[in-house]
Parts: sequence; C-alpha cells; structure tokens
Amino acid sequence: MILKKLFSRRKEEYWWMTIAVPLVAILLALITGVIFIKATGRSPLKAYKLLFGSSGLFPSPYWKNHFAEMLLSSSMFISTGLAFSIAFKGGLFSIGAEGQFIVGGIVAAYFGYAEPFAGLPTILHLIIIFIMAMAAGGIWGAIAGWLKTKKGIHEVITTIMLNWIALYLIEDWLVTGPMKANISTGISGTPYISATAKLPNILPGTRLNISFIIIAAAVFFTWFLLYRTTIGFEIRAMGYTLVFGMEAPKASGVNVNRRIIQTMFISGAVASLGGSFIVLGILFQYPPVFEGGYGFDGIAVALIGQNEPVGIFLAGILIGALRTGATSVQLAHIPKTFPSIIEGLIVAFIALQELIRYLIMKLIVPKRSKSD
Amino acid sequence: MDNTSLLNSSLTQTMDYAAPILFAALGGVMSENAGVFNIALEGIMRFAAFFGVWGAYISGTPWIGLLWGIGIGIVIGSLHAYITVKWAGDQIVSGVAINVMSMGIITYLLELIFKTTGYSPPVPYFGSSVNRIHIVFIENIPFLGAFSNLTILVWFAIILTVLMHFMLYRTVFGLRIRSVGENPYAAETLGINVVRIKWFAVIMGSIFAAFGGMALSLGTLSSFTNAMANGKGFIGLAAMIFGKWTPFGAMAASLLFASAQVIQLLLQVAASGFAKLIPLGFYLALPYILTIGALIGVVGRAVPPAADGEPYKKE
Repeated sequence: MILKKLFSRRKEEYWWMTIAVPLVAILLALITGVIFIKATGRSPLKAYKLLFGSSGLFPSPYWKNHFAEMLLSSSMFISTGLAFSIAFKGGLFSIGAEGQFIVGGIVAAYFGYAEPFAGLPTILHLIIIFIMAMAAGGIWGAIAGWLKTKKGIHEVITTIMLNWIALYLIEDWLVTGPMKANISTGISGTPYISATAKLPNILPGTRLNISFIIIAAAVFFTWFLLYRTTIGFEIRAMGYTLVFGMEAPKASGVNVNRRIIQTMFISGAVASLGGSFIVLGILFQYPPVFEGGYGFDGIAVALIGQNEPVGIFLAGILIGALRTGATSVQLAHIPKTFPSIIEGLIVAFIALQELIRYLIMKLIVPKRSKSD
Repeated sequence: MDNTSLLNSSLTQTMDYAAPILFAALGGVMSENAGVFNIALEGIMRFAAFFGVWGAYISGTPWIGLLWGIGIGIVIGSLHAYITVKWAGDQIVSGVAINVMSMGIITYLLELIFKTTGYSPPVPYFGSSVNRIHIVFIENIPFLGAFSNLTILVWFAIILTVLMHFMLYRTVFGLRIRSVGENPYAAETLGINVVRIKWFAVIMGSIFAAFGGMALSLGTLSSFTNAMANGKGFIGLAAMIFGKWTPFGAMAASLLFASAQVIQLLLQVAASGFAKLIPLGFYLALPYILTIGALIGVVGRAVPPAADGEPYKKE
C-alpha cells in the first residue's frame, strides 16, 4: 500500500498514527474554534459554513473560483513550508523563509520587466526568471549557512537579521529607488512584468496558473532529494545527530560544513519560489508594501505536515483553503484573521501529539487487539 | 539642544528601545536555562501588549494593565508548559502555535472590544511624564542624566537583569535550574523535581516576555497597534543567543542592538552631502547588519544549555 510505504519510515507501532495525529489535531482545533466563537457571542455554525463553503475544499456555487484561489495560495504556503522543513531535516532552525521569499519576489519582478528579457518566448523567459530568483533566494539562505559554519553564528540570529535586512533594502531602497516605476506611468512599486513573464493559466475563467504544478514538482523533488539521494541522506544524518554535535556524520566523512551551506541554499531557493509565484502569477509587480507572513506561516505548515514533503503538501492546501475562506467569514461578523486562530490551534494540538496518541491508543487500540 | 542633553536623551532613547528586547531576552534566558525553548516570546509580547492596554483602558490606570499583562503571561506560560513539560511536546511546535494564535486571537479581540482594526484607543501609560520616574538632581550630568527620566519598566528591566544573574549563578535554586537545563536526568537523581522547575521557569520566562510586550504598549506607546510586537520578540531571541544565554549577555546584546537603532536615527537626521544620497533602506538595515558584524568580530561560538529543547520524559 502506497500510504503505508510513505509513512512507515518512522518507527511507529501503528503506521497510520502519523496520519491520524494531524487529522485529530485538525478536528480538535475546529472544535476549540467553535467554543471560541460561541464564547464571543457569534454563531459558529454560520462561521464554519461560510469559511468552508468558500474555501474551495467543498462544492459550492462558485466552487471553480474558490478551488483555483485555494491552490493558488497553497503554492506559497507549501513553498515556505518545504523551505523550513529542508533546513529542519538538516538540523538547522531557519526562520529565514520570510526574507528569502521577498528576495525571490523582487528578483522575479526585476527579470520580469527588465528590457533585454521582455522579448523572449514565455518558457525561456520564465526559466531565466526562476533560475535567477532561486539563485538569489538560495544565496540569501546560504549566507546564514556560511556564517554558521565559518563564524559559528547561530542560524536563528542570522536568519532573523537577514529577514529585516532584505525587507528594508527592498522596500526602502529598491522599490522606492532604482526599481521604481516611472512616475509618469502612475504605478506605485516596480513596473509591471511583461506578458511573457506571467505564469500561464491552467484553468480558464480563474486565476489558477502553473505555480501549483511547479510546487507539486518541488514537493516531489524535495522528497526525492531527502530520501533517494546521498546528499539527502547526509542532510538527514546531520539532523538526527544534531544533539551529538553531528559527530557521527563527521566521523563517516560527511563534509558537514559544506552540507550546511548547501542545505541552506536549497531551503532559500525553495522559499524564493513562493515569492516568484506571487509576483509572476498574482501581483505582476513588486508592490510598495508587501503583505508578508508567508515565511512564518510556512513554519506552521511544515509542523502540521510533520516535516514530511507529502504532509507539507496537504497541510499547505489546508492552510490555503482556510485563507481562501477567510474573507467570507466576515459576513458572520468574524474578523478575517479567524483562520489563523484555527491554524495556531492545529499547531498547538500537533505539539500535544503525545496526548493525542495517548487518547487514540486508549480509545481504539484495545478494542482492536481484543478482536484479533 | 546642547551636547549633554542630546547625549542623555539619546541614551534614554536607547534604553527605552532596549527594554522590550531585554525583557524578551530575559524571558528566553529563564526558560532555556531550564531546558525549554521559547520561540513564543513574540506571541507572548503581543498578548501582553494587548491585555496590558485592555486592563489600563478599563481601569484607567496602567498599574491594573500591568497586572492583566502579567496574568496573560501566566496563562500563556502555563499553556506552553502544559504542552512541553506535562506532555513532553515539541517545544518549537508549541512556540510556533502560540505565535500563530497570537496573530489571530488579538486581531479578533481588537475588533470585539475596541471595534477597530489595527489599533486601540490611547490609554494612560507609564511613559507619560506623570508616571515617569524623575531624578532631578542628575539631570544635567553627562551619562548619568540619561537615568533621570526613565519609565518604571526600564528600571525594572535593569533590576531584573541583576536579580536574574544573582539568582541563576549565586543561589542553590539557580544552580538547580541550570542543572535541569544541562542534564535533567542527572538533576533528577539528585532529588531535584525537574518537572516543577521547568514549569516554574517557563511561566516566569513568559511573565518576563509579557513585561516586554507591555514595555511597548504601556511604556513607549500609549496604545496597542496590530503590528506589535513587530519582530521584537525574535530580536529578543537573537539577543538571548547573542548573550550566550546569560542575563548580562542579553542586556549587552539588547543595548548594542538598541544603540545601533538610535545611531541609525541620528545618522538619518545628521546626514549631509554624500550621506544624503544613501537610501533610507540602508539606514534602516544598519542595526541588523551591525549585529551580524558584531557577532563576526567579537563573539565566539555560542553554546546553549546542553539539554535545551529536549523534551524531558521521566524514566
């Protein structure tokens, strides 16, 4: 069974536990959400109906559109989620997806509108943009890796600092200075990208573009990299032996320092994909003020997905769905940030997985062993 | 403005700026010395910044706000401890959960209570000149004068740093906390109640971070804005690591960062000629670049408490 093969890698007594835990966590989070809405005097039923009705997960009058929007925003969450988990697998705690995301975005915007590339065929143009954006995001991540290996600076510090440096240099220099659109065009932010740089649509009548296909491929490549290549094996070996100072991989000849920089590069490159998606597929420019947060939500997505590529793919879709439905909950007089309460609660229950495991074992497993 | 008063006011500004970061960092020092990661500092600050303002709004005095903030600090700390200590949950996951929830819950409450999106009405706060602590006779002395007009929260941050240093390194209790962070199993064999110490440290750490949040909303500003804490909690986390998990180290790191911030502001004002051509972004990014620079130049490898972040399961 494919599912069994995917998840039995962990040393679990029951292979389905890795799936059951997030599902129960989501259920418990939704129940807690009901209590929260009820306690503040609003109608939970109405809220959930609106939230899920327009989330794109279930059929509804405008399903096609909601579905497209859901996948569109999922791609961003999956990209930052993957970025976090790749570093995490290698024993690195990177909070840098936020910065790498916007670095990817600004580079994609530049190569999207810059003159010499504007005449290229779409495929070629997009390939150039993605290579450049991923290289830039990757380098932004690799700086943190380099500083860790060469100077011994904790990656948490450097990634936090690099996030702010990226934000200020982009928003208070590039977008308002060298990359500003010509005043006569009346556009604030950077100029719009050329038509050849826009991500091709894959579902006519909606905004859905190839970003979801690209990110699905990225999920597969991440899985392949981590579980089917030597580099991936060594990255995971570093993560497993982090508490022992990575002595075992060092002793078996892994060039740990080089792997750390590479891991951070890959992580940054994946995060920058999300930034490219939003610029090339949704905004078509880099706006003066970027609504951020994808980097930090990516951490939540990675954690809900148990840091496994497939899990992150599903968790990303869930968060994308919640965000898509978010605007509608306002009709039930509930602020549109409500989904992030649910998101936080899911993560909290994931953290409580020992409790959930305990409850599941108590409720289900004894009955089973009796019938066997 | 003459030079002395410019110097003093800049120093005061530095301390005002450093206090929230320092509180957050001390919260982290407290919790992580007992072996529990706390990346929820940002979220706790946000919760406390809001609840502090809420309390002050209802009662009309910042002191009640302070109590509310401490209260929410205890609640969130208990949640973190319940997840990570009682159920040995992943400490990073729990911290992220608190951060994410803080975004949703506070915006929700802001709309529910103040009927606004993004900010609260102004409330009485510690930064108003009535509530500041005036020490008139040192006002005109260079350096010392900076201490003549501080808020009570800044003074408390300074005192807390000293107290924490004393507690961690000069008392039996502090030794126990650190032993729990270094090797909980060895500590247990010595008869230390590891679980209770972890609970205590997590909740205390959370209260300190809560003070950090209130230093923002009731110390420097007189209201809550939705952008709060705007990354200060994460900077506090960085300051804790920078300061090698010690109270005085955290203080030095917070001050370094805050002074870079003030220098940046002064440079912006003083810029003339060529410096005027430097875009704003570089000035704004300067404190963060300087922090990395300082780490490259001065500080060596930071070593966390040995069992930091490891869930503890009683054997």
